[in-house]
Amino acid sequence: MSDREPEDRYDLSSRRKSFLGLTKESALKGLFGGNAFVSIVVLGLITFFLFKEGFGFFGQYREDLTIYRKSGLEYVELMREEQNALSALNRYLNSIRTLQSEQLTESGLEFSDVKAVLRKDEDFFYDFEDLAFPLREHILEASEVVATARDSYEEMLDLQEHRQNLINAGRQSEANSFEITEIDLGQMFELVKSKEGDFNAINRHLEEEIPALLERAPIYDDPDLNSRMNRFKELATLFLSEIPVYEERIVLWNREDAISIGESFTSFIFGKKWVTNSSIQNWYGIVPLFSGSLLVAMIAMFFAVPFGVGAAVYVNQVARPLEQNLIKPFIEFISAIPSVVIGFFGIAVFGTLIRNMSGWDSMEWVNFFPLSERLTGFTAGCLLALMAIPTIFTLAEDALNNVPIAFKEASMALGSTKLQTIIRIIVPTALSGIISAVLLGFGRVIGETMVVLLCAGNRIEIPQFTEGIGVFFEPVHTMTGIIAQELGEVVNGSLHYRALFVVGLTLFLISLLINYFAQKIVLKFQISRG
Amino acid sequence: MSLVADRVEPSTKMDVPESESQADERNRSLIKISNFDFFYGDKQALFDINMDIAEREVTAFIGPSGCGKSTLLRCINRMNDLIDIARIGRGNVQVNGVDVYDERVDATELRKRVGMVFQKSNPFPKSIYENVVYGLRIQGINRKSVLDDTVERCLKGAALWEEVSDRLDTSGLSLSGGQQQRLCIARALAVEPDILLMDEPCSALDPVATAKVEELINNLKNRYTIVIVTHNMQQAARVSDKTAFFYLGNLIEMNATVQIFMSPEKEQTEAYISGRFG
Repeated sequence: MSDREPEDRYDLSSRRKSFLGLTKESALKGLFGGNAFVSIVVLGLITFFLFKEGFGFFGQYREDLTIYRKSGLEYVELMREEQNALSALNRYLNSIRTLQSEQLTESGLEFSDVKAVLRKDEDFFYDFEDLAFPLREHILEASEVVATARDSYEEMLDLQEHRQNLINAGRQSEANSFEITEIDLGQMFELVKSKEGDFNAINRHLEEEIPALLERAPIYDDPDLNSRMNRFKELATLFLSEIPVYEERIVLWNREDAISIGESFTSFIFGKKWVTNSSIQNWYGIVPLFSGSLLVAMIAMFFAVPFGVGAAVYVNQVARPLEQNLIKPFIEFISAIPSVVIGFFGIAVFGTLIRNMSGWDSMEWVNFFPLSERLTGFTAGCLLALMAIPTIFTLAEDALNNVPIAFKEASMALGSTKLQTIIRIIVPTALSGIISAVLLGFGRVIGETMVVLLCAGNRIEIPQFTEGIGVFFEPVHTMTGIIAQELGEVVNGSLHYRALFVVGLTLFLISLLINYFAQKIVLKFQISRG
Repeated sequence: MSLVADRVEPSTKMDVPESESQADERNRSLIKISNFDFFYGDKQALFDINMDIAEREVTAFIGPSGCGKSTLLRCINRMNDLIDIARIGRGNVQVNGVDVYDERVDATELRKRVGMVFQKSNPFPKSIYENVVYGLRIQGINRKSVLDDTVERCLKGAALWEEVSDRLDTSGLSLSGGQQQRLCIARALAVEPDILLMDEPCSALDPVATAKVEELINNLKNRYTIVIVTHNMQQAARVSDKTAFFYLGNLIEMNATVQIFMSPEKEQTEAYISGRFG
């Protein structure tokens, strides 16, 4: 090695210019690496804070539920269930009366005559309505007591926290000047609990009066009214038989039962109510939002999958180059339309169009038509389909493009037609790619916010799945919509604020799962091709 | 690749096929190409091709890359229809007396009579069984007994039965390259064609697998008319009865294989065969 003269050797030392010890390459490498690093760190931080804010929710919700129980609000709500059942009975009775008055008016009677007929048996109706008064009064009173107790207890907690903050900040004297009245929830609740006898007495009264009142129920000439009245009697009897159940529930209810963290978790996951800004109790159950999101996504996929995949097959396999050059950019252009514009179109044009169409005579055979709502899950779903089509189309087209031309040639050489080749060879070969395209389209739909916020109707209710197809035409609210709608108005760090974060977390997990499965499927696809 | 599956079975028919003159008398012409011109867009790929391909013989197309031999092969079963810019000029291609480019001819019917095996083995991503019966299924034949018989007959015909009969439901893609190519031949046989077109069927195979496919070709020629495109002149010499030499879209010379390799008439043919160009 060293036997050559130094000047004979090749000069292989670097000739690249360097600045502060950095060559151009290493500077570029640093730049790109730095960018990647920053994005990863930012994403990590976002995820971290999402989880941090989100998980705080469950502890806080547990405390909230504990106060709900300790203050006796839960106890009052149990009683209120009986009241609600009684009110429902009353509403049913009123509907009979309304129907009767309508019938009389239609038969051509004067207004005064109608009134005269109705007056004949008005005692029955008024007496039944009066039956509900004592119960309502009792519950109203109890509710006021416990709600006040709860409010002052929460106020006390706030003050205590404030004082603690002052002490921590070293402002001892200021802290001492606070007068905090100790609230004993137990004592307050005793006020309500001691009147349990009244509640039972009211029930005895009901059990006595209702059967007697039913005896006096009017008998109508009209068979429809009569059958309704009979139905009412059945319902009233059913109510009577349930009174002991309500009483038993109250007896079994125990103020001292602790609420576990698991309970706060399940009441979020399986909670059927999302109620905020309520004077009684706020509920954060994700089921109405989740089912709304799912419903809208299902409608969207119902339209987007056939259209997206069909268009992809057509463009990739059947279309002439001219058509390809026309259709592809056009479909991809749809994804460039801002979602707020699509939502605006939904409100201004599409929703109205659907409602008007549902009123057509030719549409009468659909049992839930005509629609009363303009903005429903269906409206939002159709527009979301429009947004999912480009995603599904582009990815499915890629998958079809990846099918080796050799398969097509082999199939054609065996005497199959173009259509047979597409159905039997090309689509099955690309199937996993197509499925992952559909999954990613689904992810796009479930994460879309603006369109559902504008067009889904924003009614926080679990859709009535018993309605059959009609369920798709109900207004719904979604997980994305609720975050966009409410996050701007909540107090930072409050329970409501954290609840919205957990909804966001749920969305995040759903997207994560969808992407994970989509990638798994694509991977499987690549392996199977060898 | 599994060496066990592709174990060497030395061919007994590696030398030049027997009795050329006899074959000539026995076999009538099945494919007749006359004054055929072919274009890709504005570019002419074939110039005035005239050729007769006899029944139950192996005809080899040789020539340097881009000389049009594959193009001509694909004209026989109209696979060039799949290329948008392809069009024919003058002349015609007749298979058993029918002009295949006649507008009344349905290309799918033609392809059922004229099977094809491709350069790169391309079994479908389906089971071995489904690969073989694909041609029947698209014709609407779904009777289990018919399909079973076809699978056995064709896999035996393609000398693959022994190796795969116990795993017919595994993917065709799990086979080795040589087995895959024989599977493709079996698949082509299933629709009972009269003619088999082979587009460089051995170019992606190792010598052992090549020997197997060549042996198979020798066996198949008793029942099928075979046209094979090859870059391997030894292969042409081993398997074919007739050889056609193409150059720049022209058919330079076509004759009995022995004749072409021993004493070619054209100077270009001799130059190519002796390896001076191409």
